[in-house]
Amino acid sequence: MLNAWATGLTEKAEATDIEHNKSSFVCQNLKNFFHNFESYGRLGYSIGGTAPMGMPAEIRKLNKFILQPNVSFGVDGLKPVSERMGVLVGIHFENKAMHIDASVKNYHMQITQGGQTLEGMFTGKNDSHAVQWTFTIPIQAVYKFNDRWKLKVGPYFSYLTSCNFDGFAYDGYLRVDDPTGAKVLLGSTEEERGNYDFKDEIRKCQWGLGVGVDYFFTRKFGVYADLNWGLSGFFKGSFKTLDQTLFPIYGTIGIAYKIK
Amino acid sequence: MRFFNNNIIAIAIFALLAVTTTSCFKEEPLNAECDIEKAWLHVDDVDAMFYSATDTLINVISTEDKIIFNLRDGADITALAPQFAITAGATITPASGSAHDFSQGPVTYTVTSEDGKWSRKYTVQCNRVSHYVVAEMNFDFEHFEMDPVFNKFYIWHNTLPDGSLGNDWASGNEGFKLSMSNAKPDEYPTTVLMQGYDGHGVLLTTRSTGMLGKMSKKPIAAGNMFLGKFDISKAMTKTMEATEFGVPISAKPLRFSGYYQYSPASPFIDKNFVEYPNRVDAGDIYSVLYLNHDADGNPVVLYGDNVLSSDLIVAVARVKNVGETHGEWIHYDIEYQYLKEFDYTIMEQRGYNFTVVFSSSIEGATFEGAIGSTLKVDKVRVTCETKE
Repeated sequence: MLNAWATGLTEKAEATDIEHNKSSFVCQNLKNFFHNFESYGRLGYSIGGTAPMGMPAEIRKLNKFILQPNVSFGVDGLKPVSERMGVLVGIHFENKAMHIDASVKNYHMQITQGGQTLEGMFTGKNDSHAVQWTFTIPIQAVYKFNDRWKLKVGPYFSYLTSCNFDGFAYDGYLRVDDPTGAKVLLGSTEEERGNYDFKDEIRKCQWGLGVGVDYFFTRKFGVYADLNWGLSGFFKGSFKTLDQTLFPIYGTIGIAYKIK
Repeated sequence: MRFFNNNIIAIAIFALLAVTTTSCFKEEPLNAECDIEKAWLHVDDVDAMFYSATDTLINVISTEDKIIFNLRDGADITALAPQFAITAGATITPASGSAHDFSQGPVTYTVTSEDGKWSRKYTVQCNRVSHYVVAEMNFDFEHFEMDPVFNKFYIWHNTLPDGSLGNDWASGNEGFKLSMSNAKPDEYPTTVLMQGYDGHGVLLTTRSTGMLGKMSKKPIAAGNMFLGKFDISKAMTKTMEATEFGVPISAKPLRFSGYYQYSPASPFIDKNFVEYPNRVDAGDIYSVLYLNHDADGNPVVLYGDNVLSSDLIVAVARVKNVGETHGEWIHYDIEYQYLKEFDYTIMEQRGYNFTVVFSSSIEGATFEGAIGSTLKVDKVRVTCETKE
């Protein structure tokens, strides 16, 4: 009986041992995985715009470019896979906003609101304001030149938690339908200009390509510069107001801190 | 430690190139427009050819493709050389300043844009205007058609004293089309009333201008119709000036009469869509005679904001309180109130403009009224006194 009890106890102990071995195996692997794992915190400021690829000749001049509160912060995990190469995955929360004022000439626009469409060629000024608060996940291949310099390249995926795109065409005129159509003057007050709001037309899930460099001047502190080039159109495919597809193109500079 | 690595420099240059090549501004495109903006006739003896010197110059509205010079009855129009101001870079054939025999009918000009991709045709006509003795002007609204450019809304023609059809009736329908491009002809603010008092009449309805209208703080469009021109270029900016009231008249109007029905809708709203439960919409029916030149001899057109208040007004006849008529036709017959003495010499120089105005919302010009208010009008008569 006692023997039996003892045996049972031993069995139990063995089982616990196996469990222990199993978990220590996982732990060991995790340990192995994490032993050279690096993590970084980032805080940056972005500057850029949502623009067509290749400026159409109809866009004549940038009158104003007003800096926006484009903060970007997040954490990255970096797993080295060889002496020089690594894989980076992060989560960033950022705002890609822009406020520009541009002059255009004979620029095709088609505005649809409530099932009604106004189409024509606009010559004058245009003031656009965009806001996009996004959660962005970059997945990047990292190349370490040395302890200070890192180059990062890879796609990113963004989900917009809140966004807006509005503005107005002003101080100019619209030729309805085509350049021979009725000429409608636009002034500069709220009632005299062509106001628009395309909030509902913005694509919520976006992706693109990111390229960046990190430079660490101490073991813990560094600076970074990233360029994030949107490859999915800013607006949904059904959006017909502008002839060109707009892509968010933003550069970010900031400070990086090596957490581990 | 090497501070910079060649690869990084290469990447930086690549990124910089990518940004600059896509964001630099291209060469300015050539003009695509091809308008006649102004037309004028230069003649040696202006007084012998024209009733008024200001008739020698015409500012052409962007939607017009007929340019009409009004000359004296006996003017020689066999060798006139109209000159034109056209869009920069555009070309015109036949050439500006070339002489033509306008007694053979209108001459067609073609303007081609600087970029060569667009062209417009204009007809230029030289009318010799004779003074008819008119005892009564009749407006029965029987001559209407779809607008020839868009085929979207109705336009009306008046009958001229010689029996031909004129283009003196105008409405804001074209402005409405800017915000409501999908509207059907009978959904426009100004449309045909199939059963008027006698034959067809005109149905004026205050309409919503939809999302696009709301965004530019012009949420309603009152049905309107008037003798004059609608200049769409001002529909967004100086909206009051889009309605150019008046056409020259060669008679002294005495009485203004006709038939109407009115039905106010609710709620009454303003341009910000604020509702006013205590305000009731009303229609407006009036006729104005005014001097079309100021004291310095400059040509004058009265607009929405001064057609009832200008110092140049000579006479007014306005229907009081165009309110609910419960489906009945109401007859009005009003005498013109003369504020200035009528001068036949001025009349003979085409110095008086005359208008008749209907609106389904009396404050419609400032975008106040009730969506759905309707004014029906028909059988308008203007009785005139004619000098022997």
